[in-house]
Amino acid sequence: MADMASRPQFTGSRITRIEDARLVSGQARYLDDVDFPGMLEVAFVRSNRPAAKITSIDIEAAKALPGVKAVWTHDNCPLEMTSAGFKTTWYALAKDEVRFVGEPIVAIAAENRYVAEDAADLVRIRYEEVEPVLDVRTAALESTRQVHEGRSNVFFHRERKTEGFDDAFNNAPHRLKDTFTFHRQTGAAMENRSFAALMDPFSGRLTCYCGHQSPHELRSELCEMLGMEENMVRVVVPEVGGAFGIKAAMYPEYLVVSWMALKLRRPVKWVSDRQESFLSDVHARDGVHDVEFAFDDDGKIIAIYDHMMADQGAYAAVPFPGSLGETVTAANVLTGPYTIPHQATVIDCSFSNKMPLGAYRGVWGPIASFIQEGIVDRVARHLGKDPVDVRRMNMISDADFPYKNPSKMLYDKGSYLKSMEDALRLIGYEDFRKKQAEYRTQGRYLGVGISVFVEPTASASSEAGSVGYEACTIRVEPTGTVTAALGLGPSGQGHETTMAQLIADQLGVDVKDIVILHGDTDSAPFGGGTGGSRSGTIGGGAAISAGKEMRAKLVKLAAHVLEAGEDDIELQEGKAFVAGVPAKSLTIKELAQIAYTHVAKLPEGMKPGLEIVTRYQPPFKVSFSNGTHIAVVEVHPDTGLIETLDYAVVNDCGNLINPTIVEGQIHGGVAQGIGEAFLEELKYDENGQLVTTSMQDYLLPASVEVPRMKIEHIETPSASEGGFKGMGEGSLIAAPAALTAAVSDALEPFGVMVNAMPVTPAQVVEWVSKGTPAVGAD
Amino acid sequence: METFTKQTVQITLRVNGENHSVEVEPRMLLADVLRHEIGLTGTHVGCEQGVCGACTILVDGAPERSCLMFAVQAEGREITTIEGVTPDEGMSELQASFQKHHGLQCGFCTPGMILTSEALLARNPNPSEAEIREALSGNLCRCTGYQFIVDSVQDAAAAKAVNHTNADGGSDKEGA
Ligand code: FES
Ligand code: FES
Repeated sequence: MADMASRPQFTGSRITRIEDARLVSGQARYLDDVDFPGMLEVAFVRSNRPAAKITSIDIEAAKALPGVKAVWTHDNCPLEMTSAGFKTTWYALAKDEVRFVGEPIVAIAAENRYVAEDAADLVRIRYEEVEPVLDVRTAALESTRQVHEGRSNVFFHRERKTEGFDDAFNNAPHRLKDTFTFHRQTGAAMENRSFAALMDPFSGRLTCYCGHQSPHELRSELCEMLGMEENMVRVVVPEVGGAFGIKAAMYPEYLVVSWMALKLRRPVKWVSDRQESFLSDVHARDGVHDVEFAFDDDGKIIAIYDHMMADQGAYAAVPFPGSLGETVTAANVLTGPYTIPHQATVIDCSFSNKMPLGAYRGVWGPIASFIQEGIVDRVARHLGKDPVDVRRMNMISDADFPYKNPSKMLYDKGSYLKSMEDALRLIGYEDFRKKQAEYRTQGRYLGVGISVFVEPTASASSEAGSVGYEACTIRVEPTGTVTAALGLGPSGQGHETTMAQLIADQLGVDVKDIVILHGDTDSAPFGGGTGGSRSGTIGGGAAISAGKEMRAKLVKLAAHVLEAGEDDIELQEGKAFVAGVPAKSLTIKELAQIAYTHVAKLPEGMKPGLEIVTRYQPPFKVSFSNGTHIAVVEVHPDTGLIETLDYAVVNDCGNLINPTIVEGQIHGGVAQGIGEAFLEELKYDENGQLVTTSMQDYLLPASVEVPRMKIEHIETPSASEGGFKGMGEGSLIAAPAALTAAVSDALEPFGVMVNAMPVTPAQVVEWVSKGTPAVGAD
Repeated sequence: METFTKQTVQITLRVNGENHSVEVEPRMLLADVLRHEIGLTGTHVGCEQGVCGACTILVDGAPERSCLMFAVQAEGREITTIEGVTPDEGMSELQASFQKHHGLQCGFCTPGMILTSEALLARNPNPSEAEIREALSGNLCRCTGYQFIVDSVQDAAAAKAVNHTNADGGSDKEGA
């Protein structure tokens, strides 16, 4: 039997997406489109104080409003979210005390959201305010108030150093330092976060609808926190309008809505509005890094020191606090694609009175890339060298693979140097340098920025992967069509298409004859879900493994019926046939009929039916994708506006399942990178109020701000089934570093070296007017 | 305690060529009435702040944000939603072009994108890339980075021009 049905017909090809038909016609069902008779809608009264004791809550007027069904406080819903190991209790509805603006205090269920909001306006809460903790450096001071009484604000501290670091650092010919700052951001999916629940009238079980990245993980968390058995809770993920990490977390609102459905015995739905989303979707980044680095006269980088501080916000989010991801993982790959032998890191994650940090696409990545590329560019400028040459000199070369970095992470084979050289060609680097000089004589400031990235993907443990494997069931139906289900939780990545491509090639059927199910814990096998760029690699591996198993059964059956050797059977175009004798064939439909109906014809020992479930775990802890992004920007010194003029990407994520989908992921990540680099900032004022709660204040990149991108692929296969590597996050990991480096390059005449994201027009104007002194001088 | 009676009014909305008689509170947004009273859930709500464009519909052929209009303001106007531009069978040219060029990922912004593009192409059958980007600048997409959306619109325009040419027996005036 051949390894695959035939030559892959679908894997690697640019087929259009199966899910699009329902999406382009407005027929898809997102969470707010879920509706049941008698459904109540919920509004929350949220804290408008960052830190306070609650002295009284008056809900009488709200309760009396016609159309209101329930007004709940903590007393009605004594549930909590506890993050294992971090020992903070985050009550579903605040108990006695609030710790961030936006923390839910009262929940109101009413006949519709309009009435629920009217009632919310009638709730009166009295507070006794205490001093909020709002800054990561002050949070760490002994004298600062404790966000959680009785425990230090710094809840995670770790120090690591390579052997010989001190000598190497202290004896190096050059040392520079700078502080890198990352402001708060969030995923801001176009569909707001929402949740609905009802007691299923047919089974009596609790059914929860939620746009979530990991249906099984959500079910496990709900069961634990609600005190229910897993066979009594069903999670259904409808169409998800973008997730980006924010929908990988557990939230207090989900517990409240579930509890209401259980106690009120009515279907209940909560759909957050955009303001609530900014207040209560997990935030990301928010870190300060005191960095020092040492290098020699040629530009060879010898050692990096980084004191990483991250502001977790008020609670340890569930399933994990984002500040750890933003720091610990950054420390794991701080040297990126460069062979820097020594590294020392100190990590401090602390509590504050802000919304908790969770995941946003690329967790840690934009931070590590900004620092590593920032170091290279500072070295180049200090020594008066071309930043490309400094990169070439420090880059991991092909001979180094598998390469172990100073954090002991093992990089599988990649194409680091080649990706950079290809990207330089794509952008026309040498030419640009000439033009740049010309433009400068005309008072125009253009710059080019390079980001060579590594992306650890398909990790055995990731934010969505509660488990290191993924699961796939395949059922060939009695009529010969195929239904497969995976534990994934897609939100636009096109898994219904890519997983079908992989299975089609195993079974020799048309991709259109395969239906992929996901997102319903009743039909999907227990799996890890989507996040950490794992679905293509681990989910794809599961699809291939399951396909192979099913294929083996079909071949065995066909060989028996056609009286041929198993090695001679081929599967193609919906048929099993004897190689070289195409007339001797059976359709998959005929095989299915034997398997389900004419079971007397089955070979001895073969069980009836065509249905299997398989779990796949890759043979590595993590696989590294890589690539290079190069951005060209023009900075307008008078207005401070930054225009992205040109953009090149060379991406290597191993074998491609569907290049078009991969390119779509890259485009979207680069757009988010433009947001991260130039636009997006969640701002808390000095009183702890979040002042960016609309899309007019939290700016997302629009069509006129995102340039056309030139993309090329390199395929360095991983050791996974199919040779895939993950790629969902690489573009957001790489882009902010490239874009901000381009700004530094453009403003070199003013001595500017960007050290904070996002770069705002006001900042540009200030830099230009002051001509900020060069690197490290302060 | 004040007593509270809900004020409602009876209005007739003309949506996708059909009249719908609905009883609404004057404060109800057109987006909510289309979605929850009339059941046309293809119109999506992303911000209710007039910024994201997900709720875009056509009112008398021009793109409008249905989160910024009260339903009562829409009486007597010709409203078109995504359902109204979808043929009974298959997809419209633009919809097919979005599929062909991977102009969508999660699909949440897509109905708004398609309606804005419909209006653009009706007014300017042969737009440049810059004109497309300008026309779509009020429709946010968090997934695609816009490039494939622009390609979708451009290619749909080109396909329309070809169809016109064929129908007109060779004249390309209309599409120029
Ligand atoms: S929902 Fe109307 S513009 Fe965003
Ligand atoms: S496709 Fe997801 S917001 Fe546009």
